[in-house]
Amino acid sequence: MTASPRTARQAGMAACEVCLLLSPRSRSRCPRCRSPLHSRKPQSISRTWALLIAALLFYFPANLLPMTTVVTLGRAQSDTILSGVVYFIQTGSWPIAAVIFIASILVPLLKIGILAFLLVSVQRGSTYRPLERTRLYRITELVGRWSMLDIFVVTVLVALVNLGALASIQAGPAAPFFAAVVVLTMFAAMSFDPRLIWDRCSGEESDD
Amino acid sequence: MTDTDLEANGADGLPRAEVRRRRSLSLVWVVPIVAALIGAWLVFKALSEKGPEITIAFKSAEGLEAGKTKVRYKDVDIGQVTAIELSEDLKGVLVRAALVRDAERLISENTRFWVVRARVSASAIYGLGTVFSGAYIDLDPGPPGKPARHFTGLEEPPVVTTGMPGRHFLLESERRESIEIGSPVYFRQIRVGEVVSFHLSEDGSKIVSKIFVHDPYHRFVRRNTRFWFASGLDVRIDSAGIRVRTESLVSLLAGGIAFDTFLDPGDGREEAPEGAVFRLHAGMDAAKEREYDERDLYVLLFDESVRGLSRGAPLEFRGLQVGKVIDIKTELDLASNRVRIPVVVALETDRIALRERPKGMETREALLAFLVERGLRAQLRTASLLTGQLYVALDFFPKAPPARISPKGPYGYPEFPTTPTPFEEIGAKLNRLVDHLDRMPFDEIGRDLRATIKGARRVADSPELVEAVQSLNGALKELRELVRELRAGAAPELTATLEEARRALAAAQATLAADSPVQARLNAALDELAAAARALRTLADYLERHPEAALFGKGKEK
Repeated sequence: MTASPRTARQAGMAACEVCLLLSPRSRSRCPRCRSPLHSRKPQSISRTWALLIAALLFYFPANLLPMTTVVTLGRAQSDTILSGVVYFIQTGSWPIAAVIFIASILVPLLKIGILAFLLVSVQRGSTYRPLERTRLYRITELVGRWSMLDIFVVTVLVALVNLGALASIQAGPAAPFFAAVVVLTMFAAMSFDPRLIWDRCSGEESDD
Repeated sequence: MTDTDLEANGADGLPRAEVRRRRSLSLVWVVPIVAALIGAWLVFKALSEKGPEITIAFKSAEGLEAGKTKVRYKDVDIGQVTAIELSEDLKGVLVRAALVRDAERLISENTRFWVVRARVSASAIYGLGTVFSGAYIDLDPGPPGKPARHFTGLEEPPVVTTGMPGRHFLLESERRESIEIGSPVYFRQIRVGEVVSFHLSEDGSKIVSKIFVHDPYHRFVRRNTRFWFASGLDVRIDSAGIRVRTESLVSLLAGGIAFDTFLDPGDGREEAPEGAVFRLHAGMDAAKEREYDERDLYVLLFDESVRGLSRGAPLEFRGLQVGKVIDIKTELDLASNRVRIPVVVALETDRIALRERPKGMETREALLAFLVERGLRAQLRTASLLTGQLYVALDFFPKAPPARISPKGPYGYPEFPTTPTPFEEIGAKLNRLVDHLDRMPFDEIGRDLRATIKGARRVADSPELVEAVQSLNGALKELRELVRELRAGAAPELTATLEEARRALAAAQATLAADSPVQARLNAALDELAAAARALRTLADYLERHPEAALFGKGKEK
């Protein structure tokens, strides 16, 4: 790597995680907001791993169990996310199918994949393209909340389509699992400290 | 400075190393462990609920959808159709279904599957719910049997499912009438059962209908219970007036079977067992008719025409039915150039009660032989002059030439002697008429007649008569004038009327065209009328020869 700017850590300082005040590393709490002071997020990698694995475990029931149960005139029909996508493809609604597929299947999977890649690369001390990896992390964090789209749609539908015996939509067992996947990946993304990517490149040893 | 800072920097103000005990495992790992537990529980649940996979063969998959159609038992979902494919011979479909674990106890080799769709028949509407919810597969577990995974589905839902209390009975009839599977069975106009199935007997001679009578009504089916078709209306016009009988409106539309046990002091009061066989009668009256088990078949040979005699015509003894005609055949005896018509009759001997049974006549054959010796003969008689219907009468003809029952008659039945009455009877009556004529005082009548003529001539010669004739002439003249006037005045109107009449006739002609149904019916009616006229002519002829018959009746046998 070319000469990189000095980091706070190299200067013996640490930024407060809450108010971002730069303080000497010797302090255990931020002198301004009194939150615990860490040079890097504590146990970032193992926490992220734990949340990521939990998210991955929930990913399977979220996709295998029915997401919605549509009751039309006494006839119940349960749909998983994937069968909904297939239904929209069969009826020719390609754009809707694409949106659902990307937002509900691809994005969570990509998030899990990216985080796993980042974790592995950090753990192996890789110095491979830190800028791009940081960018990936930023995208992951940004996109995280949008994965809740599916849950929002189901929530709105359940509230809207409630015509008694004529037709009603109920949330399926997959909904809480799906929500759990989204929340857990968001937490995982939060608990990951992107500074770890750069630590290796600047030849520092993590004390974490 | 706060306490925390003091603690961190130490009392001497120098930075002090923080001593932290590292937990080997962060608390955050609880999250994936919980996730793994939930996942494991889900997998376990899915595996534990997984029941048998079965295939059912149907003729068509109408209304069935893979992944949507449910398998239900008593309206509880116990499985789902997973796949529908054509059978290997392409003649039907194979429906694969995954059942829940509990269904294992339900299905065996005796289990029957069928598709519940909305069905509308004259007697009921079934499965209306499936119009909205779609078809589903229902099942009847049937009696316990060996486990099975491949089934052949029923095309029609079974009428009776396992566990329904009641009994099955078999009914034999010559015709199916309008009986359908599911047709109602009535007892005193209460619906107590259904027709389960019907099929031809192996030799094709009769229809065997299987019915199911629900508990507790099956106890009313006894050994001597009679069954009959309760289809439609039974309209009867007789001396008691007009009677209309029907079991119910439903049976009017859909047909049905009714049964009843008519009061019978005889045996057969115990309940009929499961699968008992009964005869199915054509109507209530036929069913009510006492069935005589003791019937002897005889053949009667008649020389005269049997026109008007039909199968089922009664065999009567002085107005009481003692049997009926079973069959009418023809036989040409070329040697003697005689046509004899064998009529097979069933004589229900036990209908004739004997006040005392003479000795040596314990058997029916001996009794009949004795009666024939005393002059018992069969004879064709006209039941109705209007329709020309004949019946066979048994009566005593003491004057008849002696005859015996020949045990080996034609067609394997014993031959019962007949007497060719009608012509002989007429001949005898003619003789008696001639006797009467002989005794007529013709001379006296001639004298009286001559005196009467004389008196008449006297009246003719009288002047009053001449005058009367003259005034009659005048009256005639006036009449002629009147007619002339009428002709002048009424002729145009008459023409118009004729025109109207012609048009009406043209319309009538269209209706009465050779191919119109009215014509055919009219022809039939005319035929009937001709037959009636013929009978009437016979009556008139008879009356002409026997004027006294109008007053005194046909006269008695000598």
